[in-house]
Amino acid sequence: MLINTGVPTREQIELRLPSPERRARGPYAMVECFQEIPCNPCSTSCPFDAILPMGDINEIPAIDLDRCTGCGICAGVCPGLAIFIIDESKGDGTASVTIPYEFRPLPEKGEMVRAVNREGDVIGDAVVTRVLLSKKTKTPLVTVRVADEHVHEVRFFNLIDNKTVCDKTSSKIEEEPKTDDTACATDDDEIILCRCEGITLRTIRDLIREGYTTVDEIKRISRAGMGPCQARTCGPLIASEIARMTGQPVAEIQPSAHRAPVKPMPIEFFLGGDSE
Amino acid sequence: MGDRRITDHPILDFDEGEVIHFTFDGKPMEGREGDTIASALHANGVKVLGYHFKTKRPRGFYCAIGNCSACLMIVNGKSNVRTCTAPLLPGMVVETQSDRGVPDDV
Amino acid sequence: MMYKIDLVVIGGGPAGLMAANTAAEAGAEVLLLERDGHLGGQLVKQTHKFFGSEKQHASVRGIDISTMLGDRLDSFGDRATVWKNATAIGFYEDGVITVDHDGVYKKVKPKRVVVATGASEKFLSFPNNDLPGIYGAGAVQTMMNVYGIRPGHRVLMIGAGNIGLIVSYQLMQAGVSVAAIVEGLPKIGGYAVHAGKVRRAGVPILTSHTILRADGQESVERATIARIDRTWNAIPETERTIECDVICISVGLTPLAELLWQAGCEMRYIPALGGSVPLRNDCLETTVKGVYVAGDVTGIEEASAAMVEGHLAGLEAAASLGFKSDSYDAERKDCMEQLTALRSGPTAEKIRTGLACTACL
Repeated sequence: MLINTGVPTREQIELRLPSPERRARGPYAMVECFQEIPCNPCSTSCPFDAILPMGDINEIPAIDLDRCTGCGICAGVCPGLAIFIIDESKGDGTASVTIPYEFRPLPEKGEMVRAVNREGDVIGDAVVTRVLLSKKTKTPLVTVRVADEHVHEVRFFNLIDNKTVCDKTSSKIEEEPKTDDTACATDDDEIILCRCEGITLRTIRDLIREGYTTVDEIKRISRAGMGPCQARTCGPLIASEIARMTGQPVAEIQPSAHRAPVKPMPIEFFLGGDSE
Repeated sequence: MGDRRITDHPILDFDEGEVIHFTFDGKPMEGREGDTIASALHANGVKVLGYHFKTKRPRGFYCAIGNCSACLMIVNGKSNVRTCTAPLLPGMVVETQSDRGVPDDV
Repeated sequence: MMYKIDLVVIGGGPAGLMAANTAAEAGAEVLLLERDGHLGGQLVKQTHKFFGSEKQHASVRGIDISTMLGDRLDSFGDRATVWKNATAIGFYEDGVITVDHDGVYKKVKPKRVVVATGASEKFLSFPNNDLPGIYGAGAVQTMMNVYGIRPGHRVLMIGAGNIGLIVSYQLMQAGVSVAAIVEGLPKIGGYAVHAGKVRRAGVPILTSHTILRADGQESVERATIARIDRTWNAIPETERTIECDVICISVGLTPLAELLWQAGCEMRYIPALGGSVPLRNDCLETTVKGVYVAGDVTGIEEASAAMVEGHLAGLEAAASLGFKSDSYDAERKDCMEQLTALRSGPTAEKIRTGLACTACL
């Protein structure tokens, strides 16, 4: 599922594909936006009114492919970089995909690159046929030519020669055998809740067990929250720990009192003051 | 390791600001105009800004925008300077802070 | 001395800038307090194009929106004053706001206030969570996109919400490799299109996973992650070690509401909005008369909504002082419609649920 993986399903993609006739006729925009989010620049930017006006800005973009010329303006403005221009009209066994590519270095026309799918896997080779820069959007549109059968898979590319954005092979996460589990006994001493005063989770838990169950009580007895950040960092963590251990909802845990000044100031500061 | 400063970015242009000389725990270092003390240190590979006064654990910044106060250091002899927002100035003497800080004139 | 002015806006991010612009446009004298040395708040590191519609500058990058809003404020001349490096450190019940302005102690007593202080990044509890090299995702974004410095070589991202996904993408744009994105929930919280961008660039998104611990001598050298079951317990035999020199924490934001507590505003803890938020009416006025709110301090949302809230709060604060232009009704209606549109989709369900609990009369 898209919401679990960040990658649309095959069915979602197939439902968006134009008719075979339209695909053979010329370039078109493939709008891979499958979630209702408040966003409409694709529709307001289209010079041909091909991306239909949205009554509600949360609507999923709908496209009239008879009007779409594949000009690519929507691909350059889409904040989600989710629009690709597909051209399957060559009829020579290759097709092209135009990809919004906001990385450096940019490839050059004619350069061979590795074609990458939506999951980040290399699935073949591609040749860069156009690099279109825009001062306005600052989103370069790079067109690559790929094998016909890959045109609905390729959505990114990696440069060859070590110029890759994120080398997936180096990103592979090593599965490690589980080491002996002695860590737990000392874990609470290594978890810092209040960074300023150096108060550990163990200390906070011990205090809650002793019956200190408000943020203010814990603050007074341990100094947690009294440091220079004034509980901005630890306050929510301490409240949720109290909630967890006492079974109260977090909403019912009183936060500590907030008094001026919101950041520690030397006394001499208050003696000064402007006399304009 | 490579340079930590970004020179080629798809969206942003980073001007090569004037070089600013400062010292960190006695070592001469270079920052750039526009740096905060913490950003200049980070560009020099310095992540440890001090040691906690009580736990003695190494301490680095967390929020970088002046909320969390984990970046306090001694600057030109003054303790508790929020280095993540304090601009870097030429000749600054920056030191790690490992206590609660002492008043200026002590 | 005590500064007196029509309106003080606290925070120069998307919400605060819009509030100041709108109120100044209507004719009010505005003082904007910005903690940082520059305006824009977190917009200054948003290199991605915004979602939304034209009215919220959709398809424009956050960094450019920041400049546009700042330039507009300049155009009001004396009517809009900006104090940079100015932190509001106290908000007293008599309406006085104390400020640290470049190290000088100042007191301001405005007729109206818009609090647009934004949010701070949540922290996470796991062994060695304080090791240098463990940064908030926003911190990493600031290092890269504001200062032009790579946070490290190989990053493990914790959290697959929009910020985690966007920052992972921006790390790769800066030439940093992302080992994986780890998400405790069984599904990706951020927009699918953001997830798609990082997936095709080769980054695995590991849902139902958590970080068990970080290790390293002086700074992060590796992390241990594992698959978790529905009760968030690690499943045995699924542990793995990831070599990385940065661990980026993106487990949400919490409203930065200290000043509202101090002012005596009635607050309510609403998990869907990220923490304690002020109750307010449909003019974004809190239970303390004259104190308005906008942006993430009202509950965590996208910057597009923050801008519209800023517009509304600035409009209402000015109107309550008698600065009510002919376009007031139209602007108010437009803001309401924009907010409804931004919040009407399925991805905003959590926000809608949360907001339903924030109303006061």
